[in-house]
Amino acid sequence: MPANSQNAISYESTRLADYRYDDSIDRGSADVPLTLLTLLLLTIGVVMVLSASYARAYYTMEGNATYYFVRQALFALCGVGVMFVCSRFPMGFYRRASGMLMLISIVLLALVLVIGTVGNNARRWINLGFTTFQPSELTKIGVVMYFSLMICRAKDQMKTFRYGILPFAGILGVICVLLALEPHMSAIIIIVAVGLVLLFVGGVQLRWFIGGGLGLAALMGFAYAAFGYVRDRITAWQNPFLDASDTGYQIVQSLYSIGSGGLLGLGLGNSRQKYLYLPEEHNDYIFSIVCEELGFIGAILILALFALLIVRGYWIAMHARDKYSLLVGVGITTQLALQVLMNIAVCTNSIPCTGISLPLFSYGGTALLLQLAEIGILLSISRDIPEKT
Amino acid sequence: MLIKRKSKKEPVSPNRVMLRRTTFVMIVCGIAAFLALGVRLFQIQILDHDMYEAAAVDQQLRETTVAAKRGTVYDRNMNILAMSATVYNIYISPAEMVMNDEDPSVIASGLSSILGVDYYTIYDKTQNKESWYSTVATKVDDETAELVRKFKEDGYQTVDDKGRPITKKIQGVKIEEASRRFYPYSSLACHVIGFVGADDYGLSGVEYYYNKTLAGTNGRIVRATNANGTDMLFTDFEDYYDAQDGQSVVLTIDETVQYYLEKHLQAAAEDYDLLNGAAGIVMDVKTGAILGMASLDGFDLNNYAAVGEKAQARADAALDEDTKNAILQEERAEQWRNKAISETYEPGSTFKIITLAMALESGAVTMDSNFYCGGSMNVIGRDTPLNCWNTGGHGDETLTQAVMNSCNIAFVNIGQRVGAERFYEYARAFGFFDKTGIDLTGESGSIWWSEDVFFDPDNLSQLAAASFGQTFTITPLQLITAVSAVANGGYLMTPYIVSEVINADGTVAEQHEPTVVRQVVSEETSRLCCEILEQVVGNPAGTGKNAYVAGYRIGGKTGTSENVVYEANTGTKQYITSFIGIAPADDPQVAVLVLLENPGPDSSTYVSGGQMAAPTVGGIMADILPVVGVEPEYSDDEAAFVDRTVPRVIGKTVAEAQAACIENGLECRVVGNGATVTSQLPRSGATVAADSEILLYCGVEPDTEPVVMIDLTALDYETARIRMGWSDLYIKGEGAMLGGSTLITKQSVATGTAVAPGTVVTVTLSDSSNLGRY
Repeated sequence: MPANSQNAISYESTRLADYRYDDSIDRGSADVPLTLLTLLLLTIGVVMVLSASYARAYYTMEGNATYYFVRQALFALCGVGVMFVCSRFPMGFYRRASGMLMLISIVLLALVLVIGTVGNNARRWINLGFTTFQPSELTKIGVVMYFSLMICRAKDQMKTFRYGILPFAGILGVICVLLALEPHMSAIIIIVAVGLVLLFVGGVQLRWFIGGGLGLAALMGFAYAAFGYVRDRITAWQNPFLDASDTGYQIVQSLYSIGSGGLLGLGLGNSRQKYLYLPEEHNDYIFSIVCEELGFIGAILILALFALLIVRGYWIAMHARDKYSLLVGVGITTQLALQVLMNIAVCTNSIPCTGISLPLFSYGGTALLLQLAEIGILLSISRDIPEKT
Repeated sequence: MLIKRKSKKEPVSPNRVMLRRTTFVMIVCGIAAFLALGVRLFQIQILDHDMYEAAAVDQQLRETTVAAKRGTVYDRNMNILAMSATVYNIYISPAEMVMNDEDPSVIASGLSSILGVDYYTIYDKTQNKESWYSTVATKVDDETAELVRKFKEDGYQTVDDKGRPITKKIQGVKIEEASRRFYPYSSLACHVIGFVGADDYGLSGVEYYYNKTLAGTNGRIVRATNANGTDMLFTDFEDYYDAQDGQSVVLTIDETVQYYLEKHLQAAAEDYDLLNGAAGIVMDVKTGAILGMASLDGFDLNNYAAVGEKAQARADAALDEDTKNAILQEERAEQWRNKAISETYEPGSTFKIITLAMALESGAVTMDSNFYCGGSMNVIGRDTPLNCWNTGGHGDETLTQAVMNSCNIAFVNIGQRVGAERFYEYARAFGFFDKTGIDLTGESGSIWWSEDVFFDPDNLSQLAAASFGQTFTITPLQLITAVSAVANGGYLMTPYIVSEVINADGTVAEQHEPTVVRQVVSEETSRLCCEILEQVVGNPAGTGKNAYVAGYRIGGKTGTSENVVYEANTGTKQYITSFIGIAPADDPQVAVLVLLENPGPDSSTYVSGGQMAAPTVGGIMADILPVVGVEPEYSDDEAAFVDRTVPRVIGKTVAEAQAACIENGLECRVVGNGATVTSQLPRSGATVAADSEILLYCGVEPDTEPVVMIDLTALDYETARIRMGWSDLYIKGEGAMLGGSTLITKQSVATGTAVAPGTVVTVTLSDSSNLGRY
């Protein structure tokens, strides 16, 4: 009983201590490199949305060539505001909100299966009237925050199966099932991968990852066997030119865009592939237009900016004041990194095609808001970094 | 409390494991993966750049062809034989109809009424909604295209999506320029000119052989387009490559010569019931230029797929569609064949000209050589004696007489004197072993005995038969080319059909110079041959006298041979009668060769070159020689015999009128008592036989009571004139008006017909006293 009581107090005190600390201390300023990198990439991204989308907007939006650009620019402005606001919230706030966010995410994931709108044979979007919203986007940050919280709570028990594996696996399982029902393969991959990275950093014993790796392989095998569209994509990945007019069409057109860019590119605004050849040119394949217009040099520069952003994210996480902040920082950064890497890998046909957008570039209002909010959280973490003495 | 304070000041710091593992994740996700993608980009953008760029450009650029205008085909006097005119293709773009929300039924009914295309045919095409190009009508004229243009512009009344009435212009209907080939002379020289297919590509004749010259080079417009095929926005990338219009060609063909050639061949086909058509060539002997070339049956170049009535009837009689199409296909191939260059046949006696020339040239015979024909002779290697066409025998003959008689026995002797080796040497030199190299497609080669067989000293039967033109096959073009060499001083020419190539701006690009292949015989031999050949036609005892034309010195040679190729194909025995003529014999300008194939049972004329082909060539010569600039020159005998032109004597005194008639070689009879002539028969300007009696009416009206036409057949010219005079009728002559030695075989007004007094009836004279397969 005393032991129990001791535990309870200790647990309570830790929780209390964290947010009291947060709330009571003067915070430093937000990380300047991360802010600059974010704003730089965001600006380039918005310009590229204009360049990539105006042809399609012209043809499909009754001649309104700037339709996508204007909306994206507005969301970007709002997003910067959101980022600023998020950077102001203390980490304790996020910590307290973690559970609720997870709950809301799961509810929305269930809800979207009922009231969601269908696109590309999947029910992923909730129509908010002025824009659409993917609950899976919210789920990503929800998982990051709630997993971080649970890892902090489990402390040394992370090494046990009961506290270190089971609850996480349970939550991921529920989310995966809900996402599979949409279906939304790419979200499953990102969320599971981010979850696994958090568990890895959180101290789960390495042997579990061997088992986890096998499990993941099995899951992939299952997906391959169960979903026809997964099989099609694998085939299209292996040889897109086999059916360049149908299943391989997107990949082939993307490769044409990237390849025809060459060293220096066709120049900003001069893409030809965006004239209805390349589908999703302002969205999932915006990086292909970047490559076509800005060439290898431009593409490498943007790739480098993203890499710097990611490294800076991890740097902030590693310098975080506390465990929770570190985990949230790692989670957010990893999620952004995975999206960037997988998006570009898809564009270059390095992995099979999955619908993953490029953070800060791809057209899409709510996703952009959430990404900037996440970076805002990263900035919030950076503000707690003790100044070097 | 202490614990609480401590935890308040020092939150749970990340432990070392966490930091280590975060570093690991950072290296993987932040550095390694990005490097891998960089490498991948390098591969795609730098290493594989060319491949992807080519593929991308390939799909982004659309090429539109700008058709070059096809050149014109002229005859030697710049008459247009073939020309291209702009026409229009009408097509619809259902995809654009969908984009523009156009009503397919309105378009289908509109186009249907303008173009006369079935409504449902068009409507069905509009339902193929992905299509950007579906042809509705091709090669419509300017007027029709204008109607379509107006239909597009005017559009139709409808309402927009808000229900307001609007006029919708039609975008889904397109008009495309194209060109269409026109042949103003329809079937004239159809085999020479040839025709073009739907894509304006020459398929036969000059159109085929000179396709590259005539076609020019199409231009291109290269545009960058979006995936829907319309122009890229804000990108005015467009490249023009000008079309290079085709050059025009001037043929050596003379439209007038060609017309007469075809006219006489057609007449022969009807008169002699030719079952397998005819072929004819008129060649300028000095240059090898083809002045006329015809093949029967012809066809309309403007509708080249249509077959003749008989052929169509044969096809229609077929039981099923496949057979019918096969028959049509076969008939078309046959009617498109230019027999003058592709038919291979045994030339028969016409080849004796060549044997004669080589014998004189090689010295095997001289003008003083003598021959004896007993009607048949034995030849080494033959089991049976070889017969002359005249089995009664020609008796003693000079060389000239041997040719005049077309004596086979004499020519076997001549051939043997030449010898097999030398015979082949000359045959080769005359070009009989090679194609002539004329600039037309479809020329056939010849078939001769192999040297082993021909040179066999123990079997001279091949040499014997070859001496009078049998047991080998050649083309008509080879024969006329060789005979031209005999006639022109010995020079074998390369025959040709195109004399000039003219640029689109009218300047001359190429001029064809006559090509001498070699001199085969001497000028002296040539002169002797021409002299002998003139006797064949001009001598009343010659076998070719039916080709005689008063006022012209025509030489020539008849030929009658079995149609061996036809026999081999069908098993039916048929003849080819032929005649090759040269004129004028003292300075040959033109050669005319005519082949009449398979005279049928409906002809009463004896089947031989002398009876059928010779008068045909005579008729052609009479018509074309003035065209090519050879004026008639009458000998004294001829001058007395030649038809006269009736002078105008109305209004003249009787004495003046009588003088005028006498001056023109005519006689006259005065009717009535007036001092001046008030009326005359026949009318002035008419041609009548010499010594015809002109009726001069002085103060009385001519008698208009019809008279009955009498039968003139088998009468000589003078007797016919006198008998006709009894009824106040007149004759004028055609054909071999050679002194009194030829008889009337045809009259232009049938016996028993009632005709007005003063009518001039045309009679055809020929000699049919000496019948035989010569």
